[in-house]
Amino acid sequence: MRRLLAAFAALVLAAPAFAVPPTALQPKDVSTLLKPPAQGTRVIALWALDCAYCEANLDALASFRASHPGIELVIVATDPVSQAAALEARLKTAKLDSLPTRAYADATPDRINFLLDPSWGGETPRTLVIRADGTRDAASGLLDAARIDRLIR
Amino acid sequence: MRRILALAFLLACTAVGQAHDAMAGMAMGHEAPLGFDAALDDAGHLWVVDTVGEHVRVRRSDDMGRTFALSTIVNPTGEPVYAEGENRPKVALGPAGELYVTWSQPRKLPWTGFVRFSRSLDGGAHFDPPKTVHTDTAEITHRFDSLAVDAQGNVIVAWIDKRDLVAATAKKMPYLGAATYYSWSTDRGATFAPERKIVDQSCECCRIALARTPDGRVDAFFRAIYGDNIRDHAFATLPTDGGAPDVKRATFTRWHIEGCPHHGPSLAIDGRGTRHAVWFSAADGKPTIWYGQLAPGADPKHLVAVAGNGASHADVAVSGAHVWIAWHQMTANGLDLMLRESTDGGEHFSEPRAVAHADGSSGWPKLVVWKDRAFVAWNPDGRFRLVPTEAL
Repeated sequence: MRRLLAAFAALVLAAPAFAVPPTALQPKDVSTLLKPPAQGTRVIALWALDCAYCEANLDALASFRASHPGIELVIVATDPVSQAAALEARLKTAKLDSLPTRAYADATPDRINFLLDPSWGGETPRTLVIRADGTRDAASGLLDAARIDRLIR
Repeated sequence: MRRILALAFLLACTAVGQAHDAMAGMAMGHEAPLGFDAALDDAGHLWVVDTVGEHVRVRRSDDMGRTFALSTIVNPTGEPVYAEGENRPKVALGPAGELYVTWSQPRKLPWTGFVRFSRSLDGGAHFDPPKTVHTDTAEITHRFDSLAVDAQGNVIVAWIDKRDLVAATAKKMPYLGAATYYSWSTDRGATFAPERKIVDQSCECCRIALARTPDGRVDAFFRAIYGDNIRDHAFATLPTDGGAPDVKRATFTRWHIEGCPHHGPSLAIDGRGTRHAVWFSAADGKPTIWYGQLAPGADPKHLVAVAGNGASHADVAVSGAHVWIAWHQMTANGLDLMLRESTDGGEHFSEPRAVAHADGSSGWPKLVVWKDRAFVAWNPDGRFRLVPTEAL
């Protein structure tokens, strides 16, 4: 058994650091996701398969993060985690598959929307900003670098 | 050069192939899609349309939704069907008992679809093989169908259509959102007129509200784009004589969003022609369901902020001076089906009242009126019910 575990650990460690399928986001996980980071800023980028603006927004956020250290970017799909393959394929096409991603895991997606941000009507894309000092901000729609800068500051 | 072109072609094919894979799961959406529509006929029979896998199903209830006396599959040959949220099958009733059904069929690429139609002329025992309403067969968006029947029995279908976006993009011209199109049938759905554009540059992801006017026509109310992605609403007449639709801006919330609200409006027109409407806006970061009486070209009258945080997908109905608004209210404890009503033609509304609760999810609420009484069609966790609106 120990040998099996070691083999498993080796496999996990050997796994490449890209193309990780989205992990489930359940209602009970939301408080952890919303907890202020120890330092820097967490940016939660909410997107959906049926949103023509979302990949461009993810791309803008990823570019911003690349040039701004201290930003933790988490990509969260409002589509069910059962569609992991479709989500992963779309992120791969958009070259966004190297970042941690999550997908909703609840029969009531509107409930996760509400828990994440009660002042969000479910429109996408939606960007949530959580700073180490506990302050938060949010914006809906496709953001450009200037708007991201104003939002994160 | 030829080698570069070949490489580019290969890359493009790969991208399309991946997009195709991405769509394969998307067409199905959630495991049990909850999108439905409901209508009551004059005799009090309730007609409900929803989906079972790749099949659109029409059911009739003779006891206000408690049991179903008839259940018929509209399309025995299955096909992908959008059946969630703003994109759900529709049912409408003709004056001689005709049953009309539309839905949007996902195609292979993301955001593509065809608007499909079927009818039953024998009370729901059989349905005609489905057909595509529009003549355009490009693999692009023709989705978010809406369906209504006018007083003459003409069948009107409206939808969101990206052909003009594609044409503009090919010419490297800017184009926001998508166009809204419609078609109509004057022969009980046997044939449809070639589709006609209502307006360019409207929202690409919100349902279109259709309502009958006192003189028997059908008008439309839908989210449109003004200036730089201000997503307010347009009101349009939908002539069935070949005339041009008259389109005017009808809401002025000035919500700017370069995104997908997935949150269309609702419209009900009373016997005096007053246009009772509800719509969603998150201008200034405040999500709000608004009620107003539309005065196309000017600000709506009698504006009321119906509900705020956690409220969504309102429907409105009217009978005489009685106006009902139903909506979804998400809370930390689950989903409440909420109601506000007015008995003075929309001048004043009651306080919000929960008429039902669900721990899980439901398709969007749909108000139906029978003999001046309103009911909310609802299907929490896929279990259909008709919720009375009267206070106990």
